[in-house]
Amino acid sequence: MAALTVRFDGVWKSFPRWLSGRRSLRAIATPGMRSASRRSGSRWALRDVSFELRQGESLGLIGENGAGKSTLLRLASGLGQVTKGQVLVSSDVASVLSLGGTLNVDLTGRENALTAALLAGVRMAQARDVVERALAFAELEEFADSPVRSYSDGMKLRLAFGVVAQLDPGLLLLDEVIAVGDLRFREKCMARIDELKAGGTSLLFASHDLEQLAEQCDRALWLEDGDVRLAGEAEEVVERYRDATQAATLDRTPEPGDGEAGLVLRENRFGSQEVTIGEVTVTGSSGEGAVEPDGSVTVELTLRREGPPIEDPIVAVSIHQAEGEVSCCEANTDTDEVPLGSLSGERRVRFHWEEIELFPGEYVVDVGVYERSWKFAYDYHWHVYPLKVIGVNGSEAIFHPRRRRWTIDP
Amino acid sequence: MEKTFQETAEEGAGGSEAIALDARPPRLAAPRSTQLSPGLFKELCLHLVKREIDATHRMTILGWAWPVVRQLVQLAVLVFIFGSVLDLGIENFPVFVFSGLIAWTWFAGGTTAATGSLLEQRDLLFQPRLPPAVLPIVAVVVPLVDVLMALPILLAMLLIEGGIPATALLIPVLIVVQLVLMSGIAWLTAAGSVFLRDIPNVTAVALNVLFYLTPVFYGLHTIPEQYAGLLKLNPMATIVNSYRALLLGEPFPGLGAVAYTLAFAAGLSVLGFLVFTRVQHRFVDNL
Repeated sequence: MAALTVRFDGVWKSFPRWLSGRRSLRAIATPGMRSASRRSGSRWALRDVSFELRQGESLGLIGENGAGKSTLLRLASGLGQVTKGQVLVSSDVASVLSLGGTLNVDLTGRENALTAALLAGVRMAQARDVVERALAFAELEEFADSPVRSYSDGMKLRLAFGVVAQLDPGLLLLDEVIAVGDLRFREKCMARIDELKAGGTSLLFASHDLEQLAEQCDRALWLEDGDVRLAGEAEEVVERYRDATQAATLDRTPEPGDGEAGLVLRENRFGSQEVTIGEVTVTGSSGEGAVEPDGSVTVELTLRREGPPIEDPIVAVSIHQAEGEVSCCEANTDTDEVPLGSLSGERRVRFHWEEIELFPGEYVVDVGVYERSWKFAYDYHWHVYPLKVIGVNGSEAIFHPRRRRWTIDP
Repeated sequence: MEKTFQETAEEGAGGSEAIALDARPPRLAAPRSTQLSPGLFKELCLHLVKREIDATHRMTILGWAWPVVRQLVQLAVLVFIFGSVLDLGIENFPVFVFSGLIAWTWFAGGTTAATGSLLEQRDLLFQPRLPPAVLPIVAVVVPLVDVLMALPILLAMLLIEGGIPATALLIPVLIVVQLVLMSGIAWLTAAGSVFLRDIPNVTAVALNVLFYLTPVFYGLHTIPEQYAGLLKLNPMATIVNSYRALLLGEPFPGLGAVAYTLAFAAGLSVLGFLVFTRVQHRFVDNL
């Protein structure tokens, strides 16, 4: 069995409390009190985290900001002390954490690469060579002698990763940073990481990019407020994490007819608000927000206009997949030539689909009201109103035509 | 568990020339418990000093001339005040002051920079493989380079005044003694500042006081007997006097004072390093 490269044994970690508060002379003069207050008030950044990695294995870290991913990476890189438990790591750990900070913007890319190489533990005899290869990997030869001040964020990242890519560490720690680069360079980095993994490097990778994480890691650890919420196969953990995020969104979704609760401007509500949409209900033939694949759906909404009348606003209703980008169907009063005329005060609008013709699955209904020539939206509710098409879906398909027929030759 | 990193590194590299970071066989250990390699320490130190100096001087028009200009201006002020306005009656006053000023500028500049070296270079401390003890040393060495830029001017002034004595060749020894003294102070104040942010202020005040308690613009022989003994407790006083003895042919400090200063510098340096390395694992959590 391959050798261990990192091992966390029931690791607990809290930060000194005074960092977030004021330091007083009294607190310093009375060490007993100080540690007492530290114990009582400390918030755990990590709580009882255990895992181990062997050569060539990779572990992804998932979680909200502040869930403890960075703390964990820091501890693995030997920065900071555990409060309880034990961290063991192989002596040749390399990291791409807080990349930008060590770059000196007045110095050239080449000079900074040399510093990065030395900081990573490369000896001077090899460092010059490493720098040239790093610049080549990062495709920055042309800019090697320009000050880093003139670099874009992407170029800085390429420079820093270029140096790390020349190393062959036992354990590689990667933070979010890698997501900054352009797609092509990111693929190059990932290819290099795969190469390192094949050579026995273990990878500890924190990212919000779940796709990338699932692709790059064998296993994943889902952290929530410092606790391990779930550990297991990367794909499965990612899946469960997604489900939970989805559920949280739907929880915040208002019950149809509940008015404006749950709508947040610039998040799921956009538009000038000169006309507002309220009291949206999505009623399917199987009840509120539910419909059979062949059933009918009625979307009702109230338009409100305060102030002088507005001429011919356009109302649009569309159905989208809850997950994914696909827009399934769309209808509006402009193309359907149903003019609303002059609007002031309140008006109730109903839209009816006789047959929804969609495969079973989770969908959302978006509603919007637009300026008469589509210049901008007055109000638009994005992914707020769920619609479930009932049944078992054995297919990725969306469109489910009702009038269908098979003809089989004898 | 049989396989070593070296083997895997070679297999994995498969023709590409990736650098295996550690030549030792793999061994799980508490992070950062590995011994500091003196070679790496020296290389990092030299490189960071060079980087710091490059970065400071590159963007200015006068560049390297700035540290010299700063010292000459301060010299001019001191010479005007204590040579003309309040005449202390010291022979060769400009050269006398300059020799003391060079030593003091380095001491004050280095100590100030070292005190803030950890607080201000947080990002470097977050590099897993950087030994933190390098940073205060870098801070101490950078102003030495600045000060050395002014040395040719001092030597030129000596030539005009009547020649450079052979004892000037011993100056490097004195520089090493001062470096040892400063490294001890640097490790202590740098580490202390992380836990007690008041220390940079304390250092600034102490340096202010110490400037007057160090014979920079006066000589120990010009002050009353009862205070001379007290001032000799200040190791920088003996060091400044020694520079003058080597350069200007002033009387050498007594054997007792020299022994005291050497012991003080060495003791403080050892103490500083021990304290620093003992608390360094706590830096990151407190920054």
